[in-house]
Amino acid sequence: MDGKSPVVVESQASQRAAPGLGWSEIKAELAGFFASIKLAMFLFIILALTATIGTVIQQGDRPEVYIEEYGEETYRWFLRLGFTDVYHTWWFSSLLTLLCINSLTCFYKRFPAIWRSMRQDKVGVALPFIQGMKHTAEIPVAGSKEGVAEGIVQLLAEKGYRVLAKNDRQGVNLYATKGILGRVGAHMAHLSATIIVLGGFIGSYWGFQEFGVCLEGETYHIPKGQFDLRVDKFWIDYYENGAVQSYNSTLTVIDEGRPVTTKTITVNDPLVYKGVWFYQSSYGDAWDQVEMARLSVMDKETDAVLETVDLEWQKEADLRKLGLKLTVTDFVADFGFNSIEKRVYSKTVEHANPAIRLALTERQSLQATPWIFYHYPGLFDIAGSKYRFELVGYKPRKFTGLQITKDPGVKMVWTGSTMIVVGITLSSFIYHRRLWAKVIPSNAGVIVHLGGTTHKSEIDFQKEFRKMTERIRTINA
Amino acid sequence: MVQSLLLFDMTFWLYLAAFALYVGYILARRPGRELAPAGHPTSGMGESDDGWSAQIGQVATIVTAFGLVVNSVALLARAYERMQISGTFAPWSNQYEAMAYVSWAIILGYLVLEFRYRIKSVGAFVVGIGFIAMGAASLLPYRYQTAEPLVPALNSYWIYIHVSVTLTSYAAFAMAGGLGVMYLLKERAERLGRRSSFFAALPDLETIDELGYKAIMVGFPLLAFGVILGAMWANYAWGGYWSWDPKETWSLIVFLIYGAYVHARMTRGWEGRRAAIYAIFGFLMVIFCFWGVNFLLSGLHAYA
Repeated sequence: MDGKSPVVVESQASQRAAPGLGWSEIKAELAGFFASIKLAMFLFIILALTATIGTVIQQGDRPEVYIEEYGEETYRWFLRLGFTDVYHTWWFSSLLTLLCINSLTCFYKRFPAIWRSMRQDKVGVALPFIQGMKHTAEIPVAGSKEGVAEGIVQLLAEKGYRVLAKNDRQGVNLYATKGILGRVGAHMAHLSATIIVLGGFIGSYWGFQEFGVCLEGETYHIPKGQFDLRVDKFWIDYYENGAVQSYNSTLTVIDEGRPVTTKTITVNDPLVYKGVWFYQSSYGDAWDQVEMARLSVMDKETDAVLETVDLEWQKEADLRKLGLKLTVTDFVADFGFNSIEKRVYSKTVEHANPAIRLALTERQSLQATPWIFYHYPGLFDIAGSKYRFELVGYKPRKFTGLQITKDPGVKMVWTGSTMIVVGITLSSFIYHRRLWAKVIPSNAGVIVHLGGTTHKSEIDFQKEFRKMTERIRTINA
Repeated sequence: MVQSLLLFDMTFWLYLAAFALYVGYILARRPGRELAPAGHPTSGMGESDDGWSAQIGQVATIVTAFGLVVNSVALLARAYERMQISGTFAPWSNQYEAMAYVSWAIILGYLVLEFRYRIKSVGAFVVGIGFIAMGAASLLPYRYQTAEPLVPALNSYWIYIHVSVTLTSYAAFAMAGGLGVMYLLKERAERLGRRSSFFAALPDLETIDELGYKAIMVGFPLLAFGVILGAMWANYAWGGYWSWDPKETWSLIVFLIYGAYVHARMTRGWEGRRAAIYAIFGFLMVIFCFWGVNFLLSGLHAYA
């Protein structure tokens, strides 16, 4: 075994030497491509452009809307390209995935070097290296090389630099660095992109979002949460000028038959139970129920109003004087009739053509169930009755619109969000600076060769460098 | 209501005066040195002024600072008025107030820049944007200018932090845009070999470029933070942290645009002229995100 291993190593080495063929070349080439800033810029711009499409073309609307606005042929193209739901198309997801691969590869390729330079860096450099830097100075100082070096170290340490020193035959070499956290921050932001996108994907696969129209006093089963929800109360608060200030629902969670928790939710303040969030999303008038209907009973002959009564929903009212018993049994907000099923229904949720159905008993003998229309009084005659009925008004029952959501990816998204904000802030305000100095003895003391580079923020660094040069010039050693 | 509107008006006139004074300052200024060739910063960062220009410059700074004070008082007055009618005070609760706040942030940012780098000529460009922002706000119909009570979705403590952070990032991008315009003007003058004292009075190209970059480096993290705060708010108010609402999407687009800029600066050739053009383009996108989306596209953010 031992005797064979050098041979194996050799053959690997010879493979590696073959230009442009080995796996390592392909790997390096691929890593180079995927880690490139050019790809990042390309993806940023392409994502920005494609995201624009979804703000110009309405998303997720009904086909008729598109056909009317753009024509049928264009709509067909929209469907082919996914323009009616851009953000959930395979190609948009692919672009996001590519962005993640891009930032991860960049991290993989560049972070190790930063990590290494956090721990150690090259202290001794050649003189031409310092002289060739963007910020460079030659400062003659009177004093011994140890004394001057000591002074520079002190000065840099004062400014928050981490300083390393090394002696060689020529003189003293100094290396100082500050603000590497800025570069760490940039990579933190790179990692965060993947975390956020992953969180988003998890949410869209294992999460759900539903909308519930719920009435006060009713209990609803939440199948995906395996528990029940009771709406105890719903009400609206108003400002003094009549504008809506807030709307609120008191909800009780019933788990395994027992009430577990009660909370009053409002916009901006949801109820959370077992990872399911209940939001106060909207409210409106129910389209199949009323709280109360006001009815005028009129004489068919004279048209005189005999009595006006407020009828409660599905509760019989006894009008002894007229010999009438009335009950509101049904309500539709927008009257529609299905002639095949012979069924009355509400065409829309708008109160466009409201009607109630009355169950009436007149003088113990006549029974009828007429529909009374709010906008068309006297549309139908009740044969044999002395009376005519008019729906004067009604108090609609309010429903509370609840959004019911579960998103198991949300914690990941917040982790990524924190990372991206912290990362970008670090990398924007902290910039990596490096200084090299060589203190070389000369005829009249020493000459300090100082050179520095910065990752960014050239003007600030230029200022700092100039000040530093001045202070080194006046070192007394 | 009347008090704050009056103060906002005053702010507008003060910024206009300050803008004119800064232009006057540049015109009166005789460059201390010969025009430096592109890419070579002159040794001194600060400007050396003499006689007239120094006095105009001082007056300009004082007027700007006074404008900022009036602007602050106007915002406070509006906050007080809001407190009276609805119990929330955020003086950036509609388009008009948001514009007034952005102007405030731009001018504050400019004064910080002036005191820190001792460069006054930038004022002609940046204070100019502040005054245009104030002016555009006052062109809004009256019903957009008054403080109406907040709709339920906005009635939350998130409005204090999400909106202010996002608007501050817009202000930073506005500064970068102004500096971009300044760069292009100066660069053109240099390219054509014009030796007018107006352009010579501007700081050297490298400084303008660097300041523009800095402004974006302030705006970029603020925008990221603002968008994330918006997502957190949405998670409480709308039932999901991201719903691809036009405003949301456009903030993301702006973020991506500046993200590309930040990465581009790492590569060769993306400073100077190109960066200046890009910063102006970015600012135009910010304007669309801020104004265009509210008036042209409908969505959840259509509150103004």
